Amino acid sequence: MLLWFTLSLFLTGAEGAGRAEDEHDALVKQQRSLQARVAALKQEQDYLQFQKRMYETDSKYLVINSKKKTAQLRYKNRLLKEIRFKAAPGLKLRPGQAAMTRKVEGKKERHALVFGNAFVIKWKLSEVPLQESSLPSIIMMKKDLLSFYYTAEPGMMVYVSP
Amino acid sequence: MKTDHNKQRTLIWQAVALTMTLVSSAHAESSGAPPTPEELRASVAALQQEATLLEEENRGLRAMLAQLDDGELYVVVETENNRLTLRQDAAVLHTAVCGTGSRRFIEAETGTNWFFETPMGAFTVLGKERNPVWIRPNWSYVEENMPIPAPNDPDRFVRGVLGKYALLLGNGYKIHGTTWTKLLGTHFTHGCVSLGDDDLETVYKAVKIGTKVYLY
Repeated sequence: MLLWFTLSLFLTGAEGAGRAEDEHDALVKQQRSLQARVAALKQEQDYLQFQKRMYETDSKYLVINSKKKTAQLRYKNRLLKEIRFKAAPGLKLRPGQAAMTRKVEGKKERHALVFGNAFVIKWKLSEVPLQESSLPSIIMMKKDLLSFYYTAEPGMMVYVSP
Repeated sequence: MKTDHNKQRTLIWQAVALTMTLVSSAHAESSGAPPTPEELRASVAALQQEATLLEEENRGLRAMLAQLDDGELYVVVETENNRLTLRQDAAVLHTAVCGTGSRRFIEAETGTNWFFETPMGAFTVLGKERNPVWIRPNWSYVEENMPIPAPNDPDRFVRGVLGKYALLLGNGYKIHGTTWTKLLGTHFTHGCVSLGDDDLETVYKAVKIGTKVYLY
């Protein structure tokens, strides 16, 4: 009898622990989903704030969508040019803003645009200096690269959307 | 009989001891794990609050940006590739091959010089002309090694070379037609933007005074 009582006590305890575990799992799941939602909203806000700043300034800027592989040249709220680009397999660009730091003038228009330690925009024959050759590359058609090259100035902002 | 009773008692105590061990180890495990249910509930509530606040802020920002998107038609001229595009929001309404500044430099005997470059920046259509008249500027005579006539000399007023229409951008710069249609797509003008007849008509009819023109 006493054995039966002990066993039932054990089983009841186990059932209670199971319920608590289920609740714990549900809360962890909810927490993770909310963390992801907050991160996405923060990223969206970062881009909206960037757009707001760009609408107020008098400078052209780029918006790169690494998923769609598109690059947009924009001025305030206007889209001036949109192109599709190629990227090395597994290209990973860190979402967020960066600034153009250098225009690399290559021979025979083999130019490139360097965005700090973030990435390089070039066409397939561009001459990228050794110190930047390991950076992720966005490869455009020559005519598109030249169009961006001649309009861009160091300091030009770029936003990489996820 | 007594031995059996003792055995049974031992078994019971062993079962009780096992239960106690399991319960205490489960408790120890839960207190060692980072969040308690209360902490988790508090964290979820805080995250929900943060998400709500961010959603609200983002809605406000989107509304603010949407107010600036006027939905107006605008013109973009890409001088590097000699392309003119008529856009509205993200949509391309019309694309045309155009001609832009030759980037040539000339100098008169007097020392006056000119560099034929299309200006860059944001412009506004200030006027629309039908059958525009070209008033030959001094550089046109210098280019052809001709003497420069007086400002109101009838020779300066030339009809038919700028096409049927012109859009005035200020400082003498225009979007107009050309008789040099074979050169469209190249840098051949003296700074204005040249278009073929059909494209010029399309652009002329689409834009109004006040339309923005972006040259880059």
